[in-house]
Amino acid sequence: MAEPSSGIEIAAASVRLGGRLVLDGLELHLTEARIGVLGRNGSGKTTLLRLIAGLIAPDAGTVRVDGCDPFTDRRAALAALGILFQNPDHQILFPTVEEELAFGLAQQGMTQAEALARAHQALQAEGRAHWAKAPVTSLSQGQRHYLCLMAVLMMAPRTILLDEPLAGLDLPTQARLARRFAALPQRLVTITHDPATVQTCDRVLWLDDGRIVADGPPGTVLPAFIAEMARIGGQDADADLAG
Amino acid sequence: MLTLTSPVETWAHGLPAGAKLAALAIATTSLFLLDAPLTLAAALGATVLLYLTGGARFALAGLRLLRPLWPFVVIVGLWHLWTRDLSGGAVILMRMVAAVGLANFVTMTTRLSDMLAVIERLARPLSRFGVAPRRLAIAFALVIRFIPVMLDRLDEIGASWRARSPHRPRWRVLVPATLAALDDADRTAEALRARGGAG
Amino acid sequence: MERNLTHIALFAALIAVLGLIPKIDLAAGVPITAQSLGIMLCGTVLGAKRGALAVLLFLALVAAGLPLLSGGRGGVGVFAGPSVGFLIGFPVAAFVAGWVMERTTLSPAVAATAASVIGGIGVLYVFGIIGMSVMLDKTLPEAAFLAGAFLPGDAVKAVIAGLVTQSLSRMRPASLLSRA
Repeated sequence: MAEPSSGIEIAAASVRLGGRLVLDGLELHLTEARIGVLGRNGSGKTTLLRLIAGLIAPDAGTVRVDGCDPFTDRRAALAALGILFQNPDHQILFPTVEEELAFGLAQQGMTQAEALARAHQALQAEGRAHWAKAPVTSLSQGQRHYLCLMAVLMMAPRTILLDEPLAGLDLPTQARLARRFAALPQRLVTITHDPATVQTCDRVLWLDDGRIVADGPPGTVLPAFIAEMARIGGQDADADLAG
Repeated sequence: MLTLTSPVETWAHGLPAGAKLAALAIATTSLFLLDAPLTLAAALGATVLLYLTGGARFALAGLRLLRPLWPFVVIVGLWHLWTRDLSGGAVILMRMVAAVGLANFVTMTTRLSDMLAVIERLARPLSRFGVAPRRLAIAFALVIRFIPVMLDRLDEIGASWRARSPHRPRWRVLVPATLAALDDADRTAEALRARGGAG
Repeated sequence: MERNLTHIALFAALIAVLGLIPKIDLAAGVPITAQSLGIMLCGTVLGAKRGALAVLLFLALVAAGLPLLSGGRGGVGVFAGPSVGFLIGFPVAAFVAGWVMERTTLSPAVAATAASVIGGIGVLYVFGIIGMSVMLDKTLPEAAFLAGAFLPGDAVKAVIAGLVTQSLSRMRPASLLSRA
């Protein structure tokens, strides 16, 4: 990581999906090292991740990551941002571990031979050189998450977006991955519905129905969030359809 | 899932699907037995009138459905201009437009569920070969259920590609997509068996 | 028994989805519609019988009025037009591709490419050319000339079908039901 990152700047951004206003006039400047985006399912968290990542464009407003527009300038976006999606099986594109790791590097301009060599180096450094030629499907679920994280790290982004990184994992795997994340030098933006995952963040944003309803240190935001979730959970009604 | 049935109700919407399809079969066969330009022009005219009985909006929608034919119109037109066989070209084109137009009329005036019911009825003799109507109905439902699911998944896989490459996704994305289809098939089979099986 | 049903249904859905997504890139900047790839994969992955049934199921839904053919086409009308030969040929192509896949002991990559060429091009084009010849009132050689425009694209797709099948067999050998 050569240059310092100027952070993620979102100005008056709105996103409409299928006619529905999913994100409404967001105004954010994210520079902290550990940022959490907390919200219920359907609050717009994943759309916000896609917006920051440049996978979708805002219908109004602007998004800038380290000064560039991630939607139009894909190369700059890839240098600035890495994304760890929720489901490894929807993320892994190649049959073997080494090919999966080499992919991003080859896309950044290396030859396949160079990329594979780097992949082997990385595996060696993690004590996993024997993984190189293994079929991806022979890895356990936790190992697949790990592989996806390694693939993202190989591209040396300045910020990593994590979508529900610990969802559905058993406790030891959660502990291992959380430890690994904590040690990363990159800025991390974690999107989740679970307050426990963002306890150690510098800044937590509570997203509800496409709007930021709270923004501050976890000590302030989390108790309010947990209380509200308990209140909603105490009611029986959930009959409204989204459409 | 959006179908090609027209939301504009016409007199034909109420007719039984089987009858419309039978009439279509007869009409299409007749079209292919004719070869006089004037007769085919009359048939084409009759088709246009048929559409107009559904109103202007309906007729315009019908016109839009014919759009995929334009490359053939161009090819046949150019071919027959080149061979100076204009009437031959006109015969081919009029027959094509009339046949497709009549078929589209049936599609636009018949609900999906009615069409599927006709197909199930036609497949009944095949139940000896394991194509029981109930299994066919379940199969139809599964396909319709899973198309949006698989679209979303291909979208996610595409996002995963674009997260590591500045180019548009390449053929590689079909690999996880196909594996996911196989996994879904296994899981759905279990779910079916748990709820009584496919009969 | 349920597994056969669900495999057939899910792959019919896959064919549909491959017609609905934006074109996939072949190599930088060369887009192709992936739907006929899906037909070939039905054969190479599911085998002859199930592959053909998946394609038939797909065609039944198209005929019933769903716009699942690439370009948003559907309804009985597609069977009344000049490409009807190709549509009828689709399930046969899947069957032949699956049959080749099941019968040879060549490696999955070679077998799948051969299967896709023989089924997805050879057999398919025979049906397609006959169909065009009838519908457009042209001789078979003339119809073959017209259909030739699609040949390069479909040749590439046959190779890709081979590559995808090979990748699948490397990722998870058991996934090739045609070789079970």
